[in-house]
Amino acid sequence: MNYPLGADPRDRNIIRYGRSGAGTNTSANYPERYELFILGDGEKKVTWVLDTRVPNTAIFTFNKEDHTLGNLLASRLHKYPHVQFSAYKVPHPLFATFDLRVTTDGSMTPKAAVAKACADLVTDLGKLSQEFTKEWELKRLANSGRE
Amino acid sequence: MSFQLDSQAMDAGDGAPQVNIREGNSTNIDFILRNTDLALANSLRRVILAEVPTIAIDLVEVEENTTVLADEFICHRLGLIPLNSKGVDDLFYSRDCDCENYCDACSVVLTLHARCTGIDVMTVYARDLVVSGNPLNDSLGQPVITDPAGQGSIICKLKKGHELKMKCVAKKGIAKEHAKWAPTAAVGFEYDPNNALRHLDYWYEVDPEKEWPVSENADLEDKPVDGEPFNYDAVPSRFYFNIESAGGLEPDVIMQQGIKVLQRKLADVHQELVERTTDGADGFGGAREPEVMDGYNQEPGYTTPWQGNQSQWGNQGSMSAYGGGAQTPHGATPYGHAY
Ligand SMILES: [Zn+2]
Repeated sequence: MNYPLGADPRDRNIIRYGRSGAGTNTSANYPERYELFILGDGEKKVTWVLDTRVPNTAIFTFNKEDHTLGNLLASRLHKYPHVQFSAYKVPHPLFATFDLRVTTDGSMTPKAAVAKACADLVTDLGKLSQEFTKEWELKRLANSGRE
Repeated sequence: MSFQLDSQAMDAGDGAPQVNIREGNSTNIDFILRNTDLALANSLRRVILAEVPTIAIDLVEVEENTTVLADEFICHRLGLIPLNSKGVDDLFYSRDCDCENYCDACSVVLTLHARCTGIDVMTVYARDLVVSGNPLNDSLGQPVITDPAGQGSIICKLKKGHELKMKCVAKKGIAKEHAKWAPTAAVGFEYDPNNALRHLDYWYEVDPEKEWPVSENADLEDKPVDGEPFNYDAVPSRFYFNIESAGGLEPDVIMQQGIKVLQRKLADVHQELVERTTDGADGFGGAREPEVMDGYNQEPGYTTPWQGNQSQWGNQGSMSAYGGGAQTPHGATPYGHAY
């Protein structure tokens, strides 16, 4: 049952407390906390521009992401021989965005390199998950054997 | 404890991550992660701290509060009580749910009613929160109670005549939004305990060796030899994790969910990169990448119409094909609305 405040005679003295829901924070001059990770209307997770001065170079802007993804991708790209440069920066700590700059040797586009990094990391994490499950099961067996 | 370094032999494997669980129970797990780099280990740590979803009380309807504590004060305390989050994956975020405010698909309702009639002070505990409605499973939303007396956290105290009556709505969320959704009380993380890589520059008064005692993990690593030339290519290879659950999720579940959240993040980016052609569709009109084909590029002429619901959070609202034509990505402010 969910009545608007005061509509139900039994609930006439109910006071509601909650953090403001979506779109209710109209007077406050601080951003909603969920704006750290929810894309805005029409906003894209990632956009990119080519650097006009350096060949095979693109700057990717990731929205609603932070160091967790930025450092992960930048570091993974370092491992690819076709990637000559990769680094990320968070331009301002109050804005949930980071820029990733990637230069390749031309045998692969920067976009393809980032896509490959994502795919490889998903694979690695999948292996980690399996490995962890296996070790956890072994540990559980060992634990129950001790009791 | 039967931990041995026999696992080192497995290092020679195919480069897959290696896990060695040293200690594990229902609230805590201590393990060594190897064959990954610092970036992955740290991202895992960050994601476990901030982005693994749990449930916590997020909306409170106060029907009666004649205690000495203000409504907001008690509501804040209620939010911080760990709730069982088993199966929270199947729960919708309220913002994505079709219901008007909250429902069983996106929340768990707990009621709290206590009145003190005796002369003794009465204590209200987390155990007094009663799940009502039809939650997704029997555990979801139950207050976490681990003390021997079975009481849980203290909410408030009442004297004679005081009454507390509240309806608490627990919703799904992540700690990035509010710390009450943190799945862990702490995540221990250490690498290179001997500081052989010189990632740290210790401040000290007289003797850094005495003032910064090494952790017991140092016994598991090669001790640096005095006068040894510094290895500029060395990278950390062993990461000592300790995931301490706040009680709502088992530590192994927290780890697995952390991996999943990270994978979903990467998969979303991958999908956007692979599906999107560079000319026009992303608003940079005409900018073209070098025309080099590889496995990740689309066949020429192939375009994918925008699907609005690609993000992990599922953008509500339908986006038109190509996201409204001429608008550049920079047309939107970081807060999502153009002025
Ligand atoms: Zn709902």
